[in-house]
Amino acid sequence: MKAIVANRLIDGEVVYWNHGAWKTRFGEAELFEADDAAEAAVAQANVPTQVVDCYLIDVAPEADGYAPTAFRERVKATGPQNHPQHGKQAEGGHDIELIKQAHGIARSAGRHNLIKLKK
Amino acid sequence: MYRYDAIDRAFVEDRAAQFKAQVARRLAGEISEDQFKPLRLMNGLYLQLHAYMLRISIPYGTLSTTQLRKLAWIARTYDKGYGHFTTRQNLQFHWIKLRDVPDILDHLASVEMHALQTSGNCIRNVTSDPRAGATAEEIEDPRVWSELIRQWAALHPEFSFLPRKFKIAVTASPHDRTAARLHDIGLLMRKGREGLGFEVIVGGGMGRTPYVGPTIREFLPAEHLMSYLEAILRIYNRHGRRDNIYKARIKILVAQLGAEEFARQVEAEWEAIDRPSLDLPQAEIERVRAGFAAPAFETLPGRSDAFEAAKAADYALARFARNNVHPHKQPGYAIVDISLKAPGETPGDATGDQMDAIADLADAYSFGEVRVTHEQNLVLAHVKLDDVAAVFAGLKAIGLASANINLVSDIIACPGLDYCALANARAIPIAQDIAVRFANAETAEKIGELKIKISGCINACGHHHVGHIGILGVDKKGEEFYQLSLGGSAAEDAEVGKILGPAVPADKVTDAVDQMIEVYLRERHAGERFIDTYRRVGLVPFKEAVYAEAH
Repeated sequence: MKAIVANRLIDGEVVYWNHGAWKTRFGEAELFEADDAAEAAVAQANVPTQVVDCYLIDVAPEADGYAPTAFRERVKATGPQNHPQHGKQAEGGHDIELIKQAHGIARSAGRHNLIKLKK
Repeated sequence: MYRYDAIDRAFVEDRAAQFKAQVARRLAGEISEDQFKPLRLMNGLYLQLHAYMLRISIPYGTLSTTQLRKLAWIARTYDKGYGHFTTRQNLQFHWIKLRDVPDILDHLASVEMHALQTSGNCIRNVTSDPRAGATAEEIEDPRVWSELIRQWAALHPEFSFLPRKFKIAVTASPHDRTAARLHDIGLLMRKGREGLGFEVIVGGGMGRTPYVGPTIREFLPAEHLMSYLEAILRIYNRHGRRDNIYKARIKILVAQLGAEEFARQVEAEWEAIDRPSLDLPQAEIERVRAGFAAPAFETLPGRSDAFEAAKAADYALARFARNNVHPHKQPGYAIVDISLKAPGETPGDATGDQMDAIADLADAYSFGEVRVTHEQNLVLAHVKLDDVAAVFAGLKAIGLASANINLVSDIIACPGLDYCALANARAIPIAQDIAVRFANAETAEKIGELKIKISGCINACGHHHVGHIGILGVDKKGEEFYQLSLGGSAAEDAEVGKILGPAVPADKVTDAVDQMIEVYLRERHAGERFIDTYRRVGLVPFKEAVYAEAH
């Protein structure tokens, strides 16, 4: 399972792709079962005047929802631990709680095409 | 402190205007991110996990209170009300919006500040001694030479596209508070028969390949500093590797050539170049020197009865005096360190309100000037002994009176995976956890000087290589693990620490630190600091203690 994440160009806000629009919460992200559909969606989503650093992340099922598998992406979807009042975690909500409680190994290999994207 | 002249002012204003146009073109889609990225980095603007990060240059760590208040205002207006002081004596804002950056740069320019030379493959902000102009140890104020280097580097087209970033430190005290031997160039001021000069160290550094830099010249007459730096940079620019980012720093070139051969090439280059056109006229040196003239100190006795009485009456003040107050060259004055390491807080963070309050204290008690240390603390450099109690009370009121300078909770930590796009692991929560475990002031004083430094990745912004205890966050099969090292030093006895053993999981790091401290307390001889005991007994007892428990 995959989702598409980026930072909004104008303000750097972390955003998730959902059927042609960018959303600000991971809980609103479109999830892709098939890799080729996800790749095609990235090509559509990565509009340089709207977003920067656009890429696919791995997502895994949790108790009653989904969470990014990479620890890095969990931090990105929630906010910094030292300031719980900053970032998306400040708003709270089911998706945030779910990510914060996500268990198991948070694989750092969740970001695809890392080397290609950094060229 | 040094004030901008017309050239400085025009240059900084031009760069702000130039970047404003570049941002507009990027937002309009006229330039791509690939084209824009090097331009934004030249203006200190990074993209991190949650937002853009703007790194603002604080040349050689000296701030006026006008500048500090402006930073406080920017923190409240454009960020989330706080800033993060870094190990390069700079300040970072972590929640910046691209659309606001042009306005922020205009505001910075209005107080003679900018974000230049805080990123990119150029000569970065010069590091200097936070006690410059205040300590009796120094030969002269090293900021004179730091400022001359700043002016030379900021406008130098030849050295704006180096193989990799380039960091210079200048100190004039035998006790090195700049980590000079861990810089690309370290300049240690010396006084010889010929007058002022520098011992020149080249090729130190941290990152994935740490080196303590070798000395390539024992004494360089100070008046030739610019031509000699030019010669070093030319050799690096010519022969430094551009094909491999991990081998592009000058430390790799120096290590591969050998210090002797590198020095020979620099000397040959120096002989060949047109020194008179590069070295500064004495009048220009004196002009800049005048910018660092000593403030109008009062003539006071060396001992303050009021301060002694206040210490006798207040145990907390006495503790603060023991740890945060240091001798000043002027009788009746002291250097006061402000710890940004209250246990449980983020190392190096200060809120806008705290910055304003510190500016008020500096105006009232320290000639309107504040220093930033590479250990992520602040300094009021010229406080009358009579006023230390008032400064302490002012700091207590804003939660910044921790009397822990150089103690176990005075931890350097990079932003780590909580913010940084490059990090493998978090650094801040590890620092908070250790600091809270050792929050008891008596325990911390009993342990004595202990420098713990934490980096969230191998780039080593948290200086873990040179921590008495170094902690490096690594990604081990997808989990945050921490590699411990021992015996590093960033001081005049600079040394790269040795790895203790296999990395430990996050929840074992504080226990491991505790176990190493137990070994030290058990093994230490009278008067020994942690690092001294380690140097005497070696790695083995520490290793046995940690791995008996952790695995």
